[in-house]
Amino acid sequence: MMIGGGRSSSSSTTATAAGGTWVSTTSVSTSGKRIQREMSELNVDPPPHCSAGPKGDNLYHWVATIIGPPGTPYQGGIFFLDITFPSDYPFKPPKVVFKTRIYHCNVDAAGNLSLDILKDSWSPALTVTKVLTAIKSIFTNPDPYNPHVSGIARLYLTDKAKHDEIAAEWTLRFAK
Amino acid sequence: MDSDSINNASSTSVHNGKDFSRKKRRSAKLKQCKLDARREQWLSQSVVKNKVCCKAGTNGGDSKRTPRGERDSSLENLEMRRRGEANGGGENGSVQHESDSESLPSNSPTSSLLLGGTGSGTSFTNSSSGSTSSGGCCSGSITEEEGDDGCLDDWEAVADALAADDDKQEMERNENYRENLCSGSTPEHEPNPQLGLNGARSDLRNSKPECQRTVQMATGTSRAWRVDDAFRPQTLPNLSKQRSFPATDRHFGQGGVSWVRSSAFSPPSSCPICCEDLDFTDSSFLPCLCGFRLCLFCHKRILEDDGRCPGCRKAYEHDPMEAEASIQGGSMTFRLARSCSMIARS
Repeated sequence: MMIGGGRSSSSSTTATAAGGTWVSTTSVSTSGKRIQREMSELNVDPPPHCSAGPKGDNLYHWVATIIGPPGTPYQGGIFFLDITFPSDYPFKPPKVVFKTRIYHCNVDAAGNLSLDILKDSWSPALTVTKVLTAIKSIFTNPDPYNPHVSGIARLYLTDKAKHDEIAAEWTLRFAK
Repeated sequence: MDSDSINNASSTSVHNGKDFSRKKRRSAKLKQCKLDARREQWLSQSVVKNKVCCKAGTNGGDSKRTPRGERDSSLENLEMRRRGEANGGGENGSVQHESDSESLPSNSPTSSLLLGGTGSGTSFTNSSSGSTSSGGCCSGSITEEEGDDGCLDDWEAVADALAADDDKQEMERNENYRENLCSGSTPEHEPNPQLGLNGARSDLRNSKPECQRTVQMATGTSRAWRVDDAFRPQTLPNLSKQRSFPATDRHFGQGGVSWVRSSAFSPPSSCPICCEDLDFTDSSFLPCLCGFRLCLFCHKRILEDDGRCPGCRKAYEHDPMEAEASIQGGSMTFRLARSCSMIARS
């Protein structure tokens, strides 16, 4: 849906590219080639406890899974994420959304993440692999000072045992 | 018979060119005029030698028609020679020296050996190879020669002889076979303190087997030692060391990020942003001091957008070269970055 829109807009920029702004055309072909490269790299060497790949035949819409790392309240849970690449992908960050509910101070009820590298700190040199690794790291180390859900962050800071208990409960309920 | 020998001689002259270039590349010590003189000399001798060969040959004289037989015989010769050295070691040593001094002025020990034979000690290897060389006198004469004057201490001679055999037969080289040979003779010849003394002489001597090898050289494909070859002679110059030499100088102390250094040492072949291949201009383009490389297209695209380096997330200088020139001599890092980009360009 959203992807189709992105593609049609990209083809329109391709049409106008003959006029002179061929930078946009390179960005379109760039994103495709770049995403394909990342896909093959993920197939060859996936990060531990992670997997990702295109949802269907649309290269710009991926689904990823992260298995809750052991030693955390999310242990054993399988968390699905949607990754949507913009048409100017490497220059703009991909949009990552949790599809599995998770009790985490950096993920809101809609599944949106507060992760700096997916916003201001995005760099074109980052890849899906690195993004997944970063998301996996906030499982083990939540960032309560930069929260999406302040109530969870407060609980994490004040009563971590209680926080972990709820998180494990949610994991059992939604992610297994 | 005569036509055969004439053919051999003419084909030799054709292949001599390749052989020369190859040898020149390898040893680079022999002078062209000497080689020319020696080739002419050899050409005149080869006619005589070929006649002898044809007489000795039972399978029709022309060894090209019996490649398998010749290969076997040359193998036998090599083994025989090694056995001969192993058996009569001390005797051979002295004789080697003698034949060395003989071979220098005469320039044609092979023909003389074939026709008459000179020393008592050399007759051992001579007779052995003579008895076994039914089809191929040429390979026999090569092994003789190497056995005579101790050419085995020169690895290239052995390698050339073997390669020449294989070239002649147009067969795939059997790596094991060659390595076995090399390893077989390794303990005798690997530690070679005399090479400095023998270097010039052995090179002179090499010219003769080289010339005879041209008879066998059919395709002339040059084979060199690989750098990682376990049996590569230690006396050969280590090219990898030289190649890696300038890279070791490229230390610019901008640590911090681990990939910065690695990306600076080995410039990526493709742009890490768009995955397109980097051309020459791109690969010599170093827009940021952190060493992160990318193609000019992506750089322009980033400059139009937020203008931060993907590697360090710092804002790009608008014109890095200009910035370097303006602060040249100022801070250390700027000058280092400049020299680094110059090295990368060369």
